[in-house]
Amino acid sequence: MFFLRIVLMALRSLRVHPMRTVLATLGVIIGVAAVVSAMSILEGTRTEVEGRFATLGSNKIFIFPGVQREGRRAVGSVNTLKLDDADAIARECDAIVNVSPQVPSSGLIKFLSKNTNASILGSNETYADINHYDVAEGRFLSRTDVLAADSVLVLGWRVKRELFGGRPALGEVVKISGPLGARGFRVIGVMEKKGNIGWTDVDRQVVMPVTTAMKKLYGLDAVGLIICDSVSPDSLDVEKAKEQVKKLLRQRHRIRPGQPDDFTVQAQGEFLKQFSQMQTIFAVVLYAISGISLVVGGIGIMNIMLVAVTERTREIGVRMAMGARRNDVLRQFLVEASIVSLLGGGCGVLLGWGMAKMLEQATRVINTATTSQAISWALAMATLTGLVSGIYPAYKASKLDPVEALRYE
Amino acid sequence: MLIRIRNLTKHYVMGDTVVRALDGVDLDVEEGEFLAITGASGSGKSTMMHLIGCLDRPTSGTYQLDGDDVSRMSDRQLAETRNRKIGFVFQTFNLIQRTSAVDNVAVPLFYARRTRVREPAQRALTRVGLSHRAWHKPSELSGGERQRVAIARAIVNEPRLLLADEPTGNLDSRTGRQIMDIFRELHACGATLVLVTHEMSVALQARRIVRMRDGKIFEDRPVDAALREELRLEAPAERSDEFAPSPPDAGRAAVPAAVARHVRA
Repeated sequence: MFFLRIVLMALRSLRVHPMRTVLATLGVIIGVAAVVSAMSILEGTRTEVEGRFATLGSNKIFIFPGVQREGRRAVGSVNTLKLDDADAIARECDAIVNVSPQVPSSGLIKFLSKNTNASILGSNETYADINHYDVAEGRFLSRTDVLAADSVLVLGWRVKRELFGGRPALGEVVKISGPLGARGFRVIGVMEKKGNIGWTDVDRQVVMPVTTAMKKLYGLDAVGLIICDSVSPDSLDVEKAKEQVKKLLRQRHRIRPGQPDDFTVQAQGEFLKQFSQMQTIFAVVLYAISGISLVVGGIGIMNIMLVAVTERTREIGVRMAMGARRNDVLRQFLVEASIVSLLGGGCGVLLGWGMAKMLEQATRVINTATTSQAISWALAMATLTGLVSGIYPAYKASKLDPVEALRYE
Repeated sequence: MLIRIRNLTKHYVMGDTVVRALDGVDLDVEEGEFLAITGASGSGKSTMMHLIGCLDRPTSGTYQLDGDDVSRMSDRQLAETRNRKIGFVFQTFNLIQRTSAVDNVAVPLFYARRTRVREPAQRALTRVGLSHRAWHKPSELSGGERQRVAIARAIVNEPRLLLADEPTGNLDSRTGRQIMDIFRELHACGATLVLVTHEMSVALQARRIVRMRDGKIFEDRPVDAALREELRLEAPAERSDEFAPSPPDAGRAAVPAAVARHVRA
């Protein structure tokens, strides 16, 4: 009851100088808004990235072509991964089960007068298995299709709907243009509705034999990347698989001992680790910045409270004459400082949440998630800032000599 | 005995010199007395008021208020004593500007940790005839009304002692008379009053005058016709009729009906 009255009293004295109160809280508002929006972005990104990795499965190994280097100077091209490398890995590495060479691209798919933009992926028959991705109608690519470099493809669910609507697509011929000219592809399958696999919306993708994509459409002699599965997600198996791939590729690319790889092998766990390291760096930087603005906000509050104590010296004297104990005066100003920064914290949470949402709307890439944990943490920080910065002014007020304070003009 | 002061001194150090603001004062005040402490500025009357009001501690000597030795109390005990036993009325009213009259009156109750504050505060306002102005802020009240709110605040905790420091100093003579009438009514109801003033005409309305000079009491006597005559000769310039007691009828008219009713009852 007594405490509630002190709170009401503090609110009343803050109302006397609304502009001053707003200015005092500005630092805290900005600090808390920074904390909240930073936490929202970090949390949103984390959920997003982990979700996407989850769609890939946990035992993936990625092989990227790397630039050949001499010392620090790049001397080779990035076209170091050949289709034969993929075959050799499948043939010789016993720690690896599925191997899917990939040539990713995109372009316009045409059927009669209709057309649509889609991702165009050249791959092999293991692509569907490796991603647990099935056909809804017809069949997926076969080994024969790949070996023969047939002009066939399977359509993603949305591509099929946009080109054919409700009509059957199997057996129809769609046209795709590439550097080697336009070519017709027979539809042999339509994939199930899936959404995202990794960072690709596979519903907006067509898959054709990797050989066809390289030889007949794009005129390439190297693949973009090779994705394979280790026999199990166990880290020992993953390491073993990576070692086998490295050894085999160095041998095949005739890289002498001591020279660096012209390719990169990375397991999915390493991506996640790199990602979380990056997130930690971001978090530290963001928290440092918001911490600084909270300190600045605290200084602002301390400044205003010192002004308030000086301005109300006589009032403090009167309160003491009426029987206020030193602790009562201390508490009054501490509560006032905490309320100022709690109000600032509340506004800051709203502002930070709004900023995060606006960023999400504006970029359409960044995902944000404002957790109740982040909000309570920010409010707690704000109140603590107020308490800490209110201690000195409140102490100063409580130590006033009642006689001097009553005489103060 | 409500106040028992023996050989009280208060010294201040100002630069190299020691100022003897109070220099060995003895004073006894009985319950129900109406006492005026007067003197020129620098005579020690303000220091005297601060010590009697438990706002300060003496350098030496003893001060017993209602049987408790105030000179040895801690800050917290002093605050509690001020809260429970003393009501202050100041020259400049010292109301808190941002709150209503009734909330101003409630301040001592608040520090007494009372749970119900509004009703007693309203009652105290009624005693000074201001119940109809309870929800006005000090800035919306006249000087006399503000001082009446301050008096209500001083009596709300039913203190043993009312301490008024130049209560009419900031008021015109008519309003000052009304305020003095309220003090006299409170005294008639049994309150013990100590009035600190430099105006003889105000002091003469008390029943006993204590005159101070250079930190010492040099005269302590009841107010009677002989004193009035002496003072008139002593300070001919001062218009001693300014705050003279109003004639009985005028006094009744000046004091709000509510006070009059309260006092009669």
